[in-house]
Amino acid sequence: MKTIIRLTINGESYETAVDPNRTLLQFLREDLGLTGAKHGCGLGDCGACTVLLNGKPVNSCLVLAVQTNEGEVLTIEGLAENGKLHPLQQSFVDKGAIQCGFCTPGMILSAKALLDLNPKPSEQDIRTAISGNLCRCTGYQKIVEAVQDAAETITSTEVS
Amino acid sequence: MLLPTFQYHEPSTLEETLHLLSEHGGNARVLAGGTDLLVRMKLKIDKPSHVISISKVPGMDSIIPRENHSVTVGAGCTAATLAASEKLMDRFLPLASAASRLGAPMIRNRATIGGNIMNARPAADLPPACMVLNATAKLKSSAGEREVPINEFFKGPGESIAESNELLVSLNMETPPPWSGGSYIKLGSRKTLEISMVNVATLLTLAAADGPIVDVRIALGAVAATPVRAYAAEEMLIGQFPSEAIFHEAGQIGVGLCSPITDHRGTMEYRCMMIEVLIKRSLGQAFERAQSWKP
Repeated sequence: MKTIIRLTINGESYETAVDPNRTLLQFLREDLGLTGAKHGCGLGDCGACTVLLNGKPVNSCLVLAVQTNEGEVLTIEGLAENGKLHPLQQSFVDKGAIQCGFCTPGMILSAKALLDLNPKPSEQDIRTAISGNLCRCTGYQKIVEAVQDAAETITSTEVS
Repeated sequence: MLLPTFQYHEPSTLEETLHLLSEHGGNARVLAGGTDLLVRMKLKIDKPSHVISISKVPGMDSIIPRENHSVTVGAGCTAATLAASEKLMDRFLPLASAASRLGAPMIRNRATIGGNIMNARPAADLPPACMVLNATAKLKSSAGEREVPINEFFKGPGESIAESNELLVSLNMETPPPWSGGSYIKLGSRKTLEISMVNVATLLTLAAADGPIVDVRIALGAVAATPVRAYAAEEMLIGQFPSEAIFHEAGQIGVGLCSPITDHRGTMEYRCMMIEVLIKRSLGQAFERAQSWKP
């Protein structure tokens, strides 16, 4: 039996009926066409499906869509504002922190959750924050540098 | 990877939850964080016809200090909450530390202490920490409630004394006495998203900063079919003055109390060597923290 859920995704309100065995990831990708969150392992090991649920990074493959009722979801599609990339996205481009791109949405959202809580993270804080996001192109160093760069950009913009 | 079909329940009170559990019992599973249950359902290891979410049951995710003698941790507290709790980091370090090593950040944002205990996996992070803190588990069913010492809770891999109609609602942890220090060490081949090859929690209490050991508890995971308390090693230590030599001896006794297996994470021989080393190392850490105990 389908259940009605109401939630906010990338700032937009949705009200829809979902099957209980539908994961948040399936709901985003297949029902809404938001394919930024990737389907990797499906078991919570790879982090490619990371989205922010009420501001916290979660594996959307291990959350039921019905569990997000009255929640707030942010996917990579909701990060750019008015066509302008978020500083994290811009830094990933500038620093060459993207190779195949499969881990990128999850990496950026994990990093965003970190910077929201801790605008001046240490290198170790960054490495811990992205520790559940696997990159098989072995681009971790550039990813860490991109997050450091974005943190500086965000902090300096806020000050000025 | 698809989830099988099931009937979903989202009770908003404890009474309703217990009623659903008594009605559906063995055909139902409680959904808390879902980081274990949904994986098991995707892999078709678990095929419940009813899934009961406890996320709307009020009060399940609170940490309540009971004056100075204990703290009650709601079964719905996430590992991230436990790892970030200053209260737990200060006096209940093994628990906060074990919670910080569970899975990865995204897993910790969902996984709950209740799930980690009720799943009763031999390599789980939180059971050894709860064991050294002398935790008692409060189980409720529509027929009543009972409190069970966590040291008597686990019966085998995935098996505990909890009945299918019972819900774990909270865990009560004893506040360690003055001059206590704790430690949690997890050994794996990497730091994150790792299931322990061996894990050790210890709690050591001194008579004074330079005094003898008046109490000590050692618990190990991934070394037998259930988490294990190293009682014989504890008995040997009580009354003695701390030293590398007796911590080493405790490690040697500890190995004899374990029955590790060889699997893809490590061999029995390697695990035995590591049990000895990690008990010694963990006692050393607990001792240093006990010495620097502050009121």
